[in-house]
Amino acid sequence: MFDAVRNNKKIVQIFLALITLPFAFFGVDSYMRNAGAGSDLASVGDTKITQPQFEQAMRDQQDRMRQTLGANFRPEIMHTPEARMAVLNSLIDQRLLLLEANKGRLGAGDDLLREVIMKISALQENGQFSMERYESALRAQGMTQTQFEAQLRQDLTLQQLVGAVGDTGIVAKTAAEAMMRIQTEERQVAELRIAPEQFDAQVKIDAAAVRKYYDENIKQFELPEQAKAEYVVLSLDTLLAQTTVSDAELKAWYDSHKDRYQQPEERRASHILLMTGGDADKAKAKAKAEEVLKELEKSPARFAELAKQYSQDPGSAANGGDLGFFGRGMMVKPFEDTVFKQKEGEISGLVQSEFGYHIIKLTGIKGGKQRSFEEVRAEIEGDLKRQAAARKFAEAAESFNNIVYEQSDSLQPAAEKFGLKVQQSNWLPKSPNPQVLAALGPLGNEKVLAALFSEDSLKNRRNTEAVEIAPNTLLAARVVEHRPAASKAFDTVQGDIEARLKAQESAALAKKAGEEKLAELQKGAEDKVGWALVKSVSRLQGRQVPPAALQAIFKASVDKLPSYVGVESGNGNYTLYKIMKVGQSAQADENTLKVLQREYSTLTAQEDFAAYLAALRARYKIDVNKAALETRERQ
Amino acid sequence: MATYDLEEQEQLAEMKAWWKQYGNLVTGIVAAAAIGVIAWQGWNWYQRSQAGQASMVYNVLQKAVMEKDLQRAKAASGELLEKFGRTTYAPLGALTAAKAMFDSGDLKTAKLQLTWVVEHGNDELRDLARLRLAAVLLDEKAYDEALKQLDGKTAPGFAVRFAESRGDVLGAQGKKEEARSAYQAALAKLDEADASGKGKNSLQDKQANAPYREMLQQKLDSLGGSK
Repeated sequence: MFDAVRNNKKIVQIFLALITLPFAFFGVDSYMRNAGAGSDLASVGDTKITQPQFEQAMRDQQDRMRQTLGANFRPEIMHTPEARMAVLNSLIDQRLLLLEANKGRLGAGDDLLREVIMKISALQENGQFSMERYESALRAQGMTQTQFEAQLRQDLTLQQLVGAVGDTGIVAKTAAEAMMRIQTEERQVAELRIAPEQFDAQVKIDAAAVRKYYDENIKQFELPEQAKAEYVVLSLDTLLAQTTVSDAELKAWYDSHKDRYQQPEERRASHILLMTGGDADKAKAKAKAEEVLKELEKSPARFAELAKQYSQDPGSAANGGDLGFFGRGMMVKPFEDTVFKQKEGEISGLVQSEFGYHIIKLTGIKGGKQRSFEEVRAEIEGDLKRQAAARKFAEAAESFNNIVYEQSDSLQPAAEKFGLKVQQSNWLPKSPNPQVLAALGPLGNEKVLAALFSEDSLKNRRNTEAVEIAPNTLLAARVVEHRPAASKAFDTVQGDIEARLKAQESAALAKKAGEEKLAELQKGAEDKVGWALVKSVSRLQGRQVPPAALQAIFKASVDKLPSYVGVESGNGNYTLYKIMKVGQSAQADENTLKVLQREYSTLTAQEDFAAYLAALRARYKIDVNKAALETRERQ
Repeated sequence: MATYDLEEQEQLAEMKAWWKQYGNLVTGIVAAAAIGVIAWQGWNWYQRSQAGQASMVYNVLQKAVMEKDLQRAKAASGELLEKFGRTTYAPLGALTAAKAMFDSGDLKTAKLQLTWVVEHGNDELRDLARLRLAAVLLDEKAYDEALKQLDGKTAPGFAVRFAESRGDVLGAQGKKEEARSAYQAALAKLDEADASGKGKNSLQDKQANAPYREMLQQKLDSLGGSK
């Protein structure tokens, strides 16, 4: 049945949740009046729809659209006036329902509220409602219990009203069955297509008609205003290439910043740790540590072995106490101090830290060497050049601005001064669409184009001002050649027009021939038509013929068979149909019927609800503040 | 006790005289105002408490309908209409119950519920009930009674659906010509609503209407031979 329903199931769900908003709007003007210059978007009855409420609804709708459309979602579609109006409209509808519910003193009771909350599965633990979960869920939402329950109560109240209006539609079986018959009716037709090409030979288009078409439809053949420009680009990079730094400067920098070119020193150590907990075992740990130390003095080579045996540092004990390489600032202070004083292979005495008593052996030293000038020369050169270029650019930008402005009849002086190349552009359109704009290279910048197509630039052929097209990049341009908006010359489009007219004429002839034949057949003339392609069509399986033909075939009276209809079937074709037999489709099984019936009820229910809302709209005073709605659009 | 000078004694005397003359009236007005306020509060309280109780019965009804417990639904709806007939829950409940009865084939009870709403409901709810009552009557082949429900003024917005239903009834009667003009009227009213934008809402723009329009057109076309 209704293709639109099937193709977009969302539409049929609207009336309950007001979730999906339709976007085509017609004739919204009549009830939109300026409700004053305030920032409220609309007034409904005695209440207002405020800016924050509207913005929130816009965000919610945006989220829903993003979920539905996924990657295809483009935020721009939300910023059309129609989309904003649609969001506002659904807010108004909700408000109306709320007002009507309040007026009727509707209100969901505490017991219902409790029941609903207890049933929310996210709030349950082991199948039981959990107060803790409820509270933490509220916290996560940033709501208080009162706020949440008030919101939920409002929703439930609305549901009482919406349910009673929207869910209680009664569809007469008689009407539904009639609809089923309409849907499953099958008509057997023969088809005859009268193609326009058959008439091509008869059609002569005279030159005057082509000319006339050209003159009358000149708008179709317009070319936009265009210009060719030359331009120079001054950027940090061009200056960088021109900057040199002398050896002496590099050396001087190196000498004064030697510390920067030092590799930080790293040391490797092993330790045995005896941890101290409370005061009591502090002495115990110390005694134990001294014992270990004594043993080490006897046989220093057994450090690793002893570490395994005694160390209480879980990370290193298994590795014989090895901690690997580390730099300054990575270990606790007393530990670090000792390590960075030790000689390689030396074993320290007891070192006390916040962890306990360490015995440390230094096992390696790495780095701490000065990198030579040769090693870091390239690095320094890059840095210094960049600094110099940045300084220069600041000065150059100002003087570039001045030169292109003061010597405004040529870009040459600026180019020579900064060693730039004057470049030539292709034809540039005045106001290109974004894709074309992106393809224009450095000139693809709205500011540049606006300057180029300004009167001063076009008429007096002056340089444009320097425009910053990217950070640290300036561009100045001037028009070399200008083509005002014009129409394509007649002779370049003559052929196209002729073909178009010919097709029109042929189609008209095909239609005329078809209609004449149809009239004869309908009058009862003898059927000598070479019918082809007998097929069965039904609304249910309506794809065998174009929609226009489908409608014509089923609109035809079949009191007397055969019956004839004719339609324009696209591309200049005219098609005649001979209806030979009428019956019921055998393909309509029980299931199909059920689906059809459901769709029919849904549609009717939706219409009922729409009528209800329309009636509310007429009863309450609604003012839409068009000014406020539009102001926000400009942001 | 304090002594008053002459002027003060004069004022006192004036006040006493005034009170003697108007005292009763003032007391009466104040008392009447107080009674009025109390009565108004009481009336509000009564209404709220009625609505609160009705809300609970309505919940029972909704649940019963969902669980297809028709006996309980019937009882709840009966309680709403009898005890809480002045609350908005009564017509809402009757519409809900009528739908459940109709679906279970109990056309008689459905009709009773809907008739109650037609007689007691406010504008929009009454029109909804009329439409639905007409649908039930159509199934009972009580064509004339159905048409009678569909006659007369409707709340704005309902005109299209009323015209469509009239077409359905006339079509069932075999009155092709009249059915055709009813559907044509429905389509014309749909166009009118689209063009004027009056009573427009988020469900009634052209796109959302398209399937419904298509259906009306099909109903019209199926009558054939439109000249």
